[in-house]
Amino acid sequence: MADSPVTQHGANSGEVPAEATPQEQKQMEQAYAQMKRKMSMAEIGRKIKHKVMVLSGKGGVGKSTVSTGLALALAQQGLKVGILDIDITGPNVPKMMGLDGRRLHVESGRIHPAQGHLGVKVISMAFLLDNEDTPVVWRGPIKLGAIQQFIGDVEWGDLDYLIIDFPPGTSDEPLTVAQSLPDIDGMVIVTTPQDVALLDSRKSITFSESLKVPVLGVVENMSGYTINGKATANSEVQIAGPAGKTLKATADGEGNFSITIDIFKEGGGKSTADEFGVPFLGALPFDPGFVRGGDDGVHRIVSEPEGPSAVAFAKVVAALQDQIVDSSGSGLEII
Amino acid sequence: MSEEMPNLTRFERRDVDVALTYDDGSEFVITYDDLRHACPCAKCSPMRNEDEASKTLRRQVEAHPKEKPQVRTVGNYALGFEWSVGCSSGIYRFERIWDLANRRDPDNGRPYVHGAW
Repeated sequence: MADSPVTQHGANSGEVPAEATPQEQKQMEQAYAQMKRKMSMAEIGRKIKHKVMVLSGKGGVGKSTVSTGLALALAQQGLKVGILDIDITGPNVPKMMGLDGRRLHVESGRIHPAQGHLGVKVISMAFLLDNEDTPVVWRGPIKLGAIQQFIGDVEWGDLDYLIIDFPPGTSDEPLTVAQSLPDIDGMVIVTTPQDVALLDSRKSITFSESLKVPVLGVVENMSGYTINGKATANSEVQIAGPAGKTLKATADGEGNFSITIDIFKEGGGKSTADEFGVPFLGALPFDPGFVRGGDDGVHRIVSEPEGPSAVAFAKVVAALQDQIVDSSGSGLEII
Repeated sequence: MSEEMPNLTRFERRDVDVALTYDDGSEFVITYDDLRHACPCAKCSPMRNEDEASKTLRRQVEAHPKEKPQVRTVGNYALGFEWSVGCSSGIYRFERIWDLANRRDPDNGRPYVHGAW
Protein backbone atom coordinates (compact mmCIF):
# COMPACT_ATOMS: atom_id res chain seq x y z
CA MET A 1 0.00 0.00 0.00
CA ALA A 2 2.93 2.34 0.81
CA ASP A 3 4.07 2.17 -2.85
CA SER A 4 0.63 2.89 -4.20
CA PRO A 5 0.24 6.32 -5.85
CA VAL A 6 -3.35 6.37 -4.66
CA THR A 7 -4.06 7.61 -1.16
CA GLN A 8 -7.01 5.81 0.28
CA HIS A 9 -9.31 7.34 2.84
CA GLY A 10 -8.48 5.99 6.28
CA ALA A 11 -5.62 3.84 4.97
CA ASN A 12 -3.12 5.12 7.51
CA SER A 13 -5.45 5.24 10.44
CA GLY A 14 -6.66 1.72 9.90
CA GLU A 15 -10.25 2.99 9.58
CA VAL A 16 -12.52 1.04 7.29
CA PRO A 17 -14.44 3.42 5.01
CA ALA A 18 -18.11 3.26 5.74
CA GLU A 19 -20.25 1.77 2.98
CA ALA A 20 -22.59 4.24 1.34
CA THR A 21 -26.20 3.79 2.28
CA PRO A 22 -28.60 2.93 -0.55
CA GLN A 23 -29.91 6.50 -0.39
CA GLU A 24 -26.38 7.95 -0.65
CA GLN A 25 -25.63 5.58 -3.54
CA LYS A 26 -28.77 6.74 -5.32
CA GLN A 27 -27.80 10.38 -4.77
CA MET A 28 -24.31 9.72 -6.15
CA GLU A 29 -25.76 7.95 -9.19
CA GLN A 30 -28.12 10.85 -9.80
CA ALA A 31 -25.29 13.37 -9.45
CA TYR A 32 -23.17 11.31 -11.87
CA ALA A 33 -26.01 11.08 -14.40
CA GLN A 34 -26.59 14.84 -14.10
CA MET A 35 -22.90 15.56 -14.64
CA LYS A 36 -22.81 13.25 -17.68
CA ARG A 37 -25.90 14.97 -19.07
CA LYS A 38 -24.34 18.43 -18.63
CA MET A 39 -21.20 17.30 -20.47
CA SER A 40 -23.39 15.82 -23.17
CA MET A 41 -25.33 19.10 -23.52
CA ALA A 42 -22.08 21.00 -23.99
CA GLU A 43 -21.03 18.46 -26.63
CA ILE A 44 -24.40 18.77 -28.38
CA GLY A 45 -23.96 22.53 -28.34
CA ARG A 46 -20.80 22.07 -30.40
CA LYS A 47 -22.18 19.46 -32.80
CA ILE A 48 -25.31 21.43 -33.69
CA LYS A 49 -24.32 24.57 -35.59
CA HIS A 50 -27.54 26.56 -35.17
CA LYS A 51 -30.32 26.27 -32.60
CA VAL A 52 -33.55 28.14 -33.18
CA MET A 53 -36.43 28.34 -30.69
CA VAL A 54 -39.95 28.72 -32.10
CA LEU A 55 -42.40 30.38 -29.70
CA SER A 56 -45.71 32.14 -29.60
CA GLY A 57 -47.52 33.90 -26.82
CA LYS A 58 -50.85 32.39 -27.83
CA GLY A 59 -51.93 28.87 -28.74
CA GLY A 60 -53.40 27.93 -32.09
CA VAL A 61 -51.32 30.26 -34.23
CA GLY A 62 -49.66 27.38 -36.09
CA LYS A 63 -46.40 27.15 -34.21
CA SER A 64 -45.83 23.46 -34.93
CA THR A 65 -46.77 24.03 -38.56
CA VAL A 66 -44.18 26.79 -38.76
CA SER A 67 -41.56 24.69 -36.91
CA THR A 68 -41.99 21.73 -39.22
CA GLY A 69 -42.16 24.05 -42.24
CA LEU A 70 -38.90 25.78 -41.28
CA ALA A 71 -37.22 22.43 -40.70
CA LEU A 72 -38.38 21.02 -44.04
CA ALA A 73 -37.53 24.21 -45.95
CA LEU A 74 -34.02 24.09 -44.48
CA ALA A 75 -33.76 20.37 -45.28
CA GLN A 76 -34.80 21.17 -48.86
CA GLN A 77 -31.58 23.17 -49.11
CA GLY A 78 -29.67 19.99 -48.30
CA LEU A 79 -28.99 20.92 -44.69
CA LYS A 80 -29.03 18.43 -41.81
CA VAL A 81 -31.95 19.38 -39.61
CA GLY A 82 -33.60 18.16 -36.40
CA ILE A 83 -36.81 19.13 -34.59
CA LEU A 84 -37.12 18.94 -30.83
CA ASP A 85 -40.80 18.96 -29.89
CA ILE A 86 -40.76 20.37 -26.36
CA ASP A 87 -44.55 20.50 -26.14
CA ILE A 88 -44.68 17.75 -23.54
CA THR A 89 -48.42 17.85 -22.94
CA GLY A 90 -49.58 18.34 -26.53
CA PRO A 91 -46.93 16.94 -28.88
CA ASN A 92 -48.04 16.89 -32.50
CA VAL A 93 -44.88 17.29 -34.56
CA PRO A 94 -44.57 13.51 -35.24
CA LYS A 95 -48.04 13.41 -36.82
CA MET A 96 -47.15 16.31 -39.11
CA MET A 97 -43.89 14.65 -40.06
CA GLY A 98 -45.47 11.32 -40.96
CA LEU A 99 -44.07 9.60 -37.89
CA ASP A 100 -47.33 8.79 -36.13
CA GLY A 101 -47.10 5.64 -34.03
CA ARG A 102 -43.32 5.37 -34.32
CA ARG A 103 -41.17 4.43 -31.30
CA LEU A 104 -37.72 5.74 -30.43
CA HIS A 105 -34.66 3.53 -30.61
CA VAL A 106 -32.55 3.50 -27.44
CA GLU A 107 -29.03 2.08 -27.45
CA SER A 108 -26.45 2.20 -24.64
CA GLY A 109 -28.56 4.71 -22.76
CA ARG A 110 -28.71 7.11 -25.74
CA ILE A 111 -31.96 7.98 -27.50
CA HIS A 112 -31.86 7.92 -31.30
CA PRO A 113 -34.30 10.30 -33.00
CA ALA A 114 -36.83 9.13 -35.57
CA GLN A 115 -36.32 10.38 -39.12
CA GLY A 116 -39.20 12.02 -40.95
CA HIS A 117 -39.61 13.63 -44.37
CA LEU A 118 -36.39 14.79 -46.07
CA GLY A 119 -34.34 13.08 -43.34
CA VAL A 120 -35.37 15.54 -40.63
CA LYS A 121 -34.65 14.02 -37.20
CA VAL A 122 -37.48 14.28 -34.69
CA ILE A 123 -37.69 13.89 -30.93
CA SER A 124 -41.06 14.24 -29.25
CA MET A 125 -42.91 13.14 -26.17
CA ALA A 126 -45.45 11.59 -28.52
CA PHE A 127 -43.00 8.76 -29.22
CA LEU A 128 -43.10 7.74 -25.57
CA LEU A 129 -46.87 7.61 -25.16
CA ASP A 130 -48.63 4.24 -25.33
CA ASN A 131 -51.48 5.78 -27.23
CA GLU A 132 -52.17 9.28 -28.45
CA ASP A 133 -55.16 9.72 -26.14
CA THR A 134 -52.99 9.39 -23.03
CA PRO A 135 -52.60 12.78 -21.33
CA VAL A 136 -49.26 13.75 -19.84
CA VAL A 137 -49.97 15.25 -16.44
CA TRP A 138 -46.65 16.39 -15.06
CA ARG A 139 -45.66 19.09 -12.66
CA GLY A 140 -42.86 21.53 -13.51
CA PRO A 141 -39.85 19.67 -12.06
CA ILE A 142 -40.74 16.44 -13.89
CA LYS A 143 -41.18 18.33 -17.14
CA LEU A 144 -37.84 20.02 -16.54
CA GLY A 145 -36.14 16.61 -16.13
CA ALA A 146 -37.76 15.29 -19.30
CA ILE A 147 -36.65 18.33 -21.29
CA GLN A 148 -33.08 18.00 -20.04
CA GLN A 149 -33.17 14.33 -21.00
CA PHE A 150 -34.47 15.22 -24.46
CA ILE A 151 -31.54 17.55 -24.90
CA GLY A 152 -28.74 15.72 -23.14
CA ASP A 153 -29.51 12.06 -23.80
CA VAL A 154 -30.36 12.26 -27.51
CA GLU A 155 -27.88 11.20 -30.16
CA TRP A 156 -28.54 14.02 -32.63
CA GLY A 157 -25.25 13.62 -34.49
CA ASP A 158 -23.96 16.59 -36.51
CA LEU A 159 -26.76 18.98 -37.42
CA ASP A 160 -26.82 22.28 -39.26
CA TYR A 161 -30.06 23.37 -37.58
CA LEU A 162 -32.08 22.24 -34.58
CA ILE A 163 -35.57 23.72 -34.51
CA ILE A 164 -37.13 23.65 -31.04
CA ASP A 165 -40.92 23.76 -30.94
CA PHE A 166 -42.41 24.99 -27.65
CA PRO A 167 -45.88 24.99 -26.12
CA PRO A 168 -47.57 28.39 -26.23
CA GLY A 169 -46.80 31.00 -23.62
CA THR A 170 -43.83 32.14 -21.64
CA SER A 171 -43.61 29.39 -19.03
CA ASP A 172 -40.70 27.27 -17.81
CA GLU A 173 -40.04 25.19 -20.95
CA PRO A 174 -38.20 27.92 -22.90
CA LEU A 175 -36.45 28.97 -19.71
CA THR A 176 -35.18 25.41 -19.16
CA VAL A 177 -33.97 25.08 -22.73
CA ALA A 178 -32.31 28.50 -22.73
CA GLN A 179 -30.45 27.57 -19.55
CA SER A 180 -29.54 24.03 -20.66
CA LEU A 181 -28.57 24.35 -24.29
CA PRO A 182 -25.53 26.53 -25.02
CA ASP A 183 -25.23 29.05 -27.87
CA ILE A 184 -28.85 29.34 -28.96
CA ASP A 185 -28.97 31.56 -32.04
CA GLY A 186 -32.30 33.06 -31.16
CA MET A 187 -36.04 32.73 -31.28
CA VAL A 188 -38.68 33.00 -33.95
CA ILE A 189 -42.00 34.40 -32.76
CA VAL A 190 -45.06 33.07 -34.59
CA THR A 191 -48.20 35.16 -34.62
CA THR A 192 -51.45 35.62 -36.48
CA PRO A 193 -52.58 39.11 -37.42
CA GLN A 194 -55.39 39.63 -34.89
CA ASP A 195 -54.89 41.88 -31.87
CA VAL A 196 -55.05 39.17 -29.18
CA ALA A 197 -52.32 37.12 -30.83
CA LEU A 198 -50.20 40.22 -31.37
CA LEU A 199 -50.53 41.25 -27.76
CA ASP A 200 -49.22 37.85 -26.67
CA SER A 201 -46.45 37.97 -29.27
CA ARG A 202 -45.24 41.19 -27.74
CA LYS A 203 -44.97 39.29 -24.44
CA SER A 204 -42.79 36.72 -26.18
CA ILE A 205 -40.53 39.45 -27.54
CA THR A 206 -40.17 40.95 -24.08
CA PHE A 207 -39.63 37.43 -22.69
CA SER A 208 -36.65 37.02 -25.05
CA GLU A 209 -34.99 39.93 -23.31
CA SER A 210 -35.37 38.19 -19.96
CA LEU A 211 -33.81 35.02 -21.38
CA LYS A 212 -31.09 37.04 -23.12
CA VAL A 213 -31.88 35.15 -26.31
CA PRO A 214 -32.19 37.44 -29.34
CA VAL A 215 -35.34 37.54 -31.45
CA LEU A 216 -34.43 36.39 -34.95
CA GLY A 217 -37.75 37.64 -36.19
CA VAL A 218 -41.52 37.53 -36.29
CA VAL A 219 -43.45 35.25 -38.67
CA GLU A 220 -47.07 36.06 -39.41
CA ASN A 221 -49.03 32.87 -40.03
CA MET A 222 -52.55 32.55 -41.53
CA SER A 223 -51.88 35.85 -43.22
CA GLY A 224 -54.31 35.76 -46.11
CA TYR A 225 -56.41 33.22 -47.98
CA THR A 226 -56.15 33.32 -51.75
CA ILE A 227 -59.09 32.27 -53.87
CA ASN A 228 -58.36 31.34 -57.47
CA GLY A 229 -61.17 31.14 -59.97
CA LYS A 230 -62.40 31.46 -63.52
CA ALA A 231 -64.56 34.24 -64.94
CA THR A 232 -65.17 35.88 -68.29
CA ALA A 233 -61.85 37.02 -69.75
CA ASN A 234 -60.85 40.58 -68.75
CA SER A 235 -63.98 41.00 -66.62
CA GLU A 236 -64.07 42.48 -63.14
CA VAL A 237 -64.84 40.04 -60.31
CA GLN A 238 -66.25 41.15 -56.97
CA ILE A 239 -66.63 39.11 -53.80
CA ALA A 240 -67.90 40.01 -50.35
CA GLY A 241 -64.97 40.01 -47.92
CA PRO A 242 -64.81 40.22 -44.11
CA ALA A 243 -66.05 43.36 -42.33
CA GLY A 244 -68.35 44.28 -45.18
CA LYS A 245 -65.50 44.94 -47.59
CA THR A 246 -65.90 44.27 -51.28
CA LEU A 247 -62.84 42.71 -52.83
CA LYS A 248 -62.24 43.17 -56.53
CA ALA A 249 -60.01 41.54 -59.12
CA THR A 250 -59.78 41.56 -62.87
CA ALA A 251 -59.67 38.26 -64.72
CA ASP A 252 -56.82 37.87 -67.20
CA GLY A 253 -57.14 37.14 -70.88
CA GLU A 254 -57.81 33.47 -70.13
CA GLY A 255 -60.35 34.28 -67.45
CA ASN A 256 -58.18 33.38 -64.44
CA PHE A 257 -58.39 35.55 -61.36
CA SER A 258 -57.18 35.42 -57.78
CA ILE A 259 -58.24 37.41 -54.73
CA THR A 260 -56.57 37.33 -51.31
CA ILE A 261 -58.86 37.68 -48.31
CA ASP A 262 -57.23 38.86 -45.10
CA ILE A 263 -59.32 36.75 -42.74
CA PHE A 264 -57.63 38.05 -39.57
CA LYS A 265 -56.79 41.64 -40.61
CA GLU A 266 -53.48 42.28 -42.33
CA GLY A 267 -49.93 43.39 -41.58
CA GLY A 268 -50.13 42.93 -37.79
CA GLY A 269 -47.00 40.78 -37.58
CA LYS A 270 -44.97 43.38 -39.43
CA SER A 271 -46.24 46.25 -37.30
CA THR A 272 -45.43 44.31 -34.10
CA ALA A 273 -41.93 43.60 -35.40
CA ASP A 274 -41.51 47.28 -36.33
CA GLU A 275 -42.83 48.41 -32.96
CA PHE A 276 -40.26 46.30 -31.11
CA GLY A 277 -37.47 46.86 -33.59
CA VAL A 278 -37.05 43.19 -34.41
CA PRO A 279 -36.89 41.73 -37.92
CA PHE A 280 -40.03 40.66 -39.76
CA LEU A 281 -39.26 37.35 -41.45
CA GLY A 282 -42.36 37.15 -43.61
CA ALA A 283 -46.00 36.15 -43.87
CA LEU A 284 -47.34 32.66 -44.53
CA PRO A 285 -50.64 32.25 -46.34
CA PHE A 286 -53.74 30.69 -44.85
CA ASP A 287 -53.57 27.29 -46.52
CA PRO A 288 -56.15 24.58 -45.76
CA GLY A 289 -53.66 22.15 -47.29
CA PHE A 290 -51.67 22.40 -44.06
CA VAL A 291 -54.60 20.98 -42.12
CA ARG A 292 -55.08 18.11 -44.55
CA GLY A 293 -51.33 17.52 -44.78
CA GLY A 294 -50.96 17.59 -41.00
CA ASP A 295 -53.73 15.07 -40.58
CA ASP A 296 -52.40 12.81 -43.33
CA GLY A 297 -48.79 13.07 -42.17
CA VAL A 298 -47.62 14.57 -45.47
CA HIS A 299 -46.49 18.12 -44.91
CA ARG A 300 -47.56 20.73 -47.47
CA ILE A 301 -43.93 21.46 -48.33
CA VAL A 302 -43.43 17.78 -49.16
CA SER A 303 -46.69 17.29 -51.08
CA GLU A 304 -46.39 20.54 -53.04
CA PRO A 305 -42.74 21.64 -52.98
CA GLU A 306 -43.27 24.37 -55.59
CA GLY A 307 -46.62 25.58 -54.19
CA PRO A 308 -47.32 29.04 -52.72
CA SER A 309 -46.87 27.84 -49.14
CA ALA A 310 -43.51 26.24 -49.89
CA VAL A 311 -42.42 29.43 -51.67
CA ALA A 312 -43.53 31.52 -48.67
CA PHE A 313 -41.60 29.23 -46.31
CA ALA A 314 -38.50 29.47 -48.50
CA LYS A 315 -38.65 33.29 -48.20
CA VAL A 316 -39.04 33.10 -44.42
CA VAL A 317 -36.12 30.69 -44.18
CA ALA A 318 -33.96 32.95 -46.35
CA ALA A 319 -34.74 35.88 -44.05
CA LEU A 320 -33.99 33.70 -41.02
CA GLN A 321 -30.65 32.59 -42.43
CA ASP A 322 -29.76 36.22 -43.15
CA GLN A 323 -30.27 36.99 -39.48
CA ILE A 324 -28.19 34.04 -38.31
CA VAL A 325 -25.33 34.55 -40.75
CA ASP A 326 -25.23 38.27 -40.14
CA SER A 327 -25.28 37.89 -36.37
CA SER A 328 -22.19 35.69 -36.44
CA GLY A 329 -20.30 37.82 -38.92
CA SER A 330 -21.78 41.31 -38.94
CA GLY A 331 -18.35 42.84 -39.42
CA LEU A 332 -18.78 45.07 -36.39
CA GLU A 333 -15.49 45.57 -34.57
CA ILE A 334 -15.98 45.95 -30.82
CA ILE A 335 -12.93 47.21 -28.96
CA MET B 1 -35.32 58.54 -38.78
CA SER B 2 -35.88 59.46 -42.40
CA GLU B 3 -32.36 59.34 -43.84
CA GLU B 4 -30.56 56.14 -44.79
CA MET B 5 -28.62 54.83 -41.82
CA PRO B 6 -25.02 53.74 -42.51
CA ASN B 7 -23.70 50.50 -41.00
CA LEU B 8 -21.87 50.66 -37.72
CA THR B 9 -18.40 49.21 -38.30
CA ARG B 10 -16.46 50.07 -35.14
CA PHE B 11 -17.53 50.40 -31.52
CA GLU B 12 -14.64 51.58 -29.37
CA ARG B 13 -15.16 51.59 -25.61
CA ARG B 14 -13.21 54.40 -23.98
CA ASP B 15 -13.03 55.54 -20.34
CA VAL B 16 -16.24 57.58 -20.16
CA ASP B 17 -17.71 57.25 -23.63
CA VAL B 18 -17.86 55.17 -26.76
CA ALA B 19 -16.48 56.22 -30.16
CA LEU B 20 -18.53 55.01 -33.13
CA THR B 21 -17.41 54.70 -36.72
CA TYR B 22 -19.86 54.09 -39.58
CA ASP B 23 -19.16 52.72 -43.03
CA ASP B 24 -19.76 56.12 -44.64
CA GLY B 25 -16.77 57.41 -42.67
CA SER B 26 -18.81 59.37 -40.12
CA GLU B 27 -17.65 59.28 -36.50
CA PHE B 28 -19.58 59.98 -33.30
CA VAL B 29 -19.21 59.87 -29.54
CA ILE B 30 -21.86 58.81 -27.02
CA THR B 31 -21.17 59.12 -23.31
CA TYR B 32 -21.94 56.09 -21.18
CA ASP B 33 -24.32 58.28 -19.16
CA ASP B 34 -26.33 59.11 -22.30
CA LEU B 35 -26.31 55.47 -23.36
CA ARG B 36 -27.56 54.26 -19.99
CA HIS B 37 -30.16 57.01 -19.67
CA ALA B 38 -31.61 55.92 -23.02
CA CYS B 39 -32.01 52.29 -21.93
CA PRO B 40 -35.00 50.91 -23.86
CA CYS B 41 -36.02 48.28 -21.29
CA ALA B 42 -39.48 48.14 -19.72
CA LYS B 43 -38.18 49.37 -16.38
CA CYS B 44 -36.16 52.39 -17.54
CA SER B 45 -38.32 53.54 -20.48
CA PRO B 46 -41.41 54.62 -18.48
CA MET B 47 -39.17 56.76 -16.28
CA ARG B 48 -38.40 58.98 -19.27
CA ASN B 49 -42.10 59.73 -19.79
CA GLU B 50 -42.11 62.41 -17.13
CA ASP B 51 -39.51 65.12 -16.64
CA GLU B 52 -39.00 64.56 -12.90
CA ALA B 53 -38.69 60.78 -13.21
CA SER B 54 -36.38 61.26 -16.18
CA LYS B 55 -34.16 63.53 -14.10
CA THR B 56 -34.15 60.93 -11.32
CA LEU B 57 -33.09 58.29 -13.83
CA ARG B 58 -30.36 60.60 -15.08
CA ARG B 59 -29.06 61.16 -11.54
CA GLN B 60 -29.08 57.41 -10.89
CA VAL B 61 -27.17 56.77 -14.08
CA GLU B 62 -24.60 59.48 -13.37
CA ALA B 63 -24.01 58.05 -9.90
CA HIS B 64 -22.87 54.73 -11.36
CA PRO B 65 -19.12 54.21 -11.72
CA LYS B 66 -17.75 55.11 -15.15
CA GLU B 67 -16.92 51.72 -16.57
CA LYS B 68 -16.57 50.01 -19.91
CA PRO B 69 -19.53 47.70 -20.50
CA GLN B 70 -19.40 44.22 -21.95
CA VAL B 71 -20.94 44.49 -25.42
CA ARG B 72 -22.78 41.72 -27.26
CA THR B 73 -24.45 41.70 -30.63
CA VAL B 74 -28.12 40.77 -30.60
CA GLY B 75 -29.06 39.12 -33.88
CA ASN B 76 -27.98 41.54 -36.59
CA TYR B 77 -30.19 44.36 -35.43
CA ALA B 78 -29.04 45.48 -32.00
CA LEU B 79 -26.44 45.60 -29.25
CA GLY B 80 -26.75 44.70 -25.58
CA PHE B 81 -24.61 46.13 -22.79
CA GLU B 82 -23.63 44.43 -19.56
CA TRP B 83 -22.73 46.81 -16.73
CA SER B 84 -21.41 45.73 -13.33
CA VAL B 85 -24.09 47.87 -11.62
CA GLY B 86 -27.36 49.30 -12.89
CA CYS B 87 -29.67 48.09 -15.60
CA SER B 88 -28.30 45.76 -18.29
CA SER B 89 -31.63 44.64 -19.71
CA GLY B 90 -32.03 46.98 -22.66
CA ILE B 91 -31.52 45.80 -26.21
CA TYR B 92 -30.41 48.79 -28.30
CA ARG B 93 -31.38 48.67 -31.95
CA PHE B 94 -28.77 50.12 -34.29
CA GLU B 95 -31.32 52.80 -35.21
CA ARG B 96 -31.47 53.81 -31.55
CA ILE B 97 -27.70 54.05 -31.33
CA TRP B 98 -27.68 56.09 -34.57
CA ASP B 99 -30.25 58.50 -33.09
CA LEU B 100 -28.21 58.85 -29.90
CA ALA B 101 -25.06 59.44 -31.93
CA ASN B 102 -26.85 62.25 -33.77
CA ARG B 103 -28.15 63.76 -30.52
CA ARG B 104 -31.76 62.93 -31.34
CA ASP B 105 -34.44 61.57 -29.05
CA PRO B 106 -34.47 57.85 -29.93
CA ASP B 107 -38.09 57.61 -28.76
CA ASN B 108 -39.16 60.43 -31.08
CA GLY B 109 -40.98 62.11 -28.22
CA ARG B 110 -43.40 59.18 -27.90
CA PRO B 111 -44.20 58.21 -24.32
CA TYR B 112 -43.55 54.60 -23.44
CA VAL B 113 -46.72 52.57 -22.89
CA HIS B 114 -46.84 49.18 -21.26
CA GLY B 115 -49.04 47.95 -24.08
CA ALA B 116 -47.22 44.69 -24.28
CA TRP B 117 -47.75 43.57 -20.74
